[in-house]
Amino acid sequence: MTITIHVPGALRACCGGASELFLSAPSVRAALEQLERNHPSLYRSICDETGTVRRHVNLFVNTSHVRDREGLDTALAPGDVITILPAISGG
Amino acid sequence: MPERVILCIGTKKGLFVAEAPKTRRSFALRGPFGSGVAVYTALIDARGTPRLYASSCNAFFGMKVLLSTDLGKKFKETKSAPAFPKEDGRALANIWSLEVGDGKKDLWCGVEPASLFKSSDGGDSWEMVPGISNHAHARKWQPGNGGLCLHTVLRDGDRVHLGISTGGHYRSEDGGASFTASNQGIGAGFAPDPYPEFGQCVHKIARHKDAPGRLYIQNHGGWPERPGIGVLRSDDHGHTWRSIAKGLPSDFGFPMVVHPHDADTIYVVPLEGSTRTCPGGAPAVWRSEDGGDSWSRLARGLPKKESFFTVQRDAMDIDELKSPALYFGTTTGQLWMGRDGGEEWNCLFDSLPPIHCVKVAMV
Repeated sequence: MTITIHVPGALRACCGGASELFLSAPSVRAALEQLERNHPSLYRSICDETGTVRRHVNLFVNTSHVRDREGLDTALAPGDVITILPAISGG
Repeated sequence: MPERVILCIGTKKGLFVAEAPKTRRSFALRGPFGSGVAVYTALIDARGTPRLYASSCNAFFGMKVLLSTDLGKKFKETKSAPAFPKEDGRALANIWSLEVGDGKKDLWCGVEPASLFKSSDGGDSWEMVPGISNHAHARKWQPGNGGLCLHTVLRDGDRVHLGISTGGHYRSEDGGASFTASNQGIGAGFAPDPYPEFGQCVHKIARHKDAPGRLYIQNHGGWPERPGIGVLRSDDHGHTWRSIAKGLPSDFGFPMVVHPHDADTIYVVPLEGSTRTCPGGAPAVWRSEDGGDSWSRLARGLPKKESFFTVQRDAMDIDELKSPALYFGTTTGQLWMGRDGGEEWNCLFDSLPPIHCVKVAMV
């Protein structure tokens, strides 16, 4: 199954400038594991070394935040889009 | 012969680099690098071709280490930052200290939560130092207001001193393989036991490189019921400590700096313990020229009133010219230089972001 990952501008340098990545994975966790193998810098910007998604990074599957579904165990279906969305915060 | 003074200024919004001829007549400012991201520590490695390092503490995407090989004209990220082993369960929250090691590209790095890492390739890869990171006390340390940070790394051959807030002073005699809490005489104003084995809120440790047995600590003072525990000295490589706070307006403060040519001359910035600001709104650096037995106030050129900034633990440094200049940065974004060892102050930059660290070197 093909999943599309939308990469925000701030993280595109971690994956050769790509705004979208394509992979096949049955869950968000599996998709992140692929990122860890293939784009370790991008993965480390999304998750800390314990595998926890960073506090100010949000992961959406289509229009649903994964925290409102099954977290990293949220299942993926062909055509799903994962959006990596950094929070707008700070001062 | 070194011809230039290089300042690294780590701020809440990135790293700035200032450069001047050794007359220090005027400083040219570059930056910010790592724009928008806090920089808590920097290192100017002047051995051979100078290398400038800085931590980039990105609250969104994690920690990075920045490196410049052209005196801070441009920076790039090293290939990796320190990271705990996956099974450890801890996650890097900040990078507080970068120091050179023995080898040309050896680095030591103190982090939050309090742990130590080493690199042998200029910061491209890192290895956790288990002797302190997995010390039996490590899971008992508590964070201070700045976080649970390992902020000071001092090395003298196989002897290593670490400063941890809030953990205290730890000493190694075997190159960092093992560490012992070494806090005899270091008080804790916030604990029922005034002199615990460990858990002190040490703010900074300093020493002269040619007098390694003499160490100075700026500890968390400001406790009326336990006066004098904030500024301390050791003459036995940190085995025991005694107060040298008598004569200071406050024993609370963060930085502690030693004169580059005189191990008896030290500098602190006393702050009000309750507010962490300049006593009476009148900032001053205090100097001792006799190892802390007496103190004098250095404030010529500094504001005389209505100044309520804080100088953080790594925000003061001193250059190594014959008549050295002190530099300190404030939480209100001012960078001050004190010529002649702090006798005469002038503001180099007055509107930087809040300053976390200041490092200076001659190149």
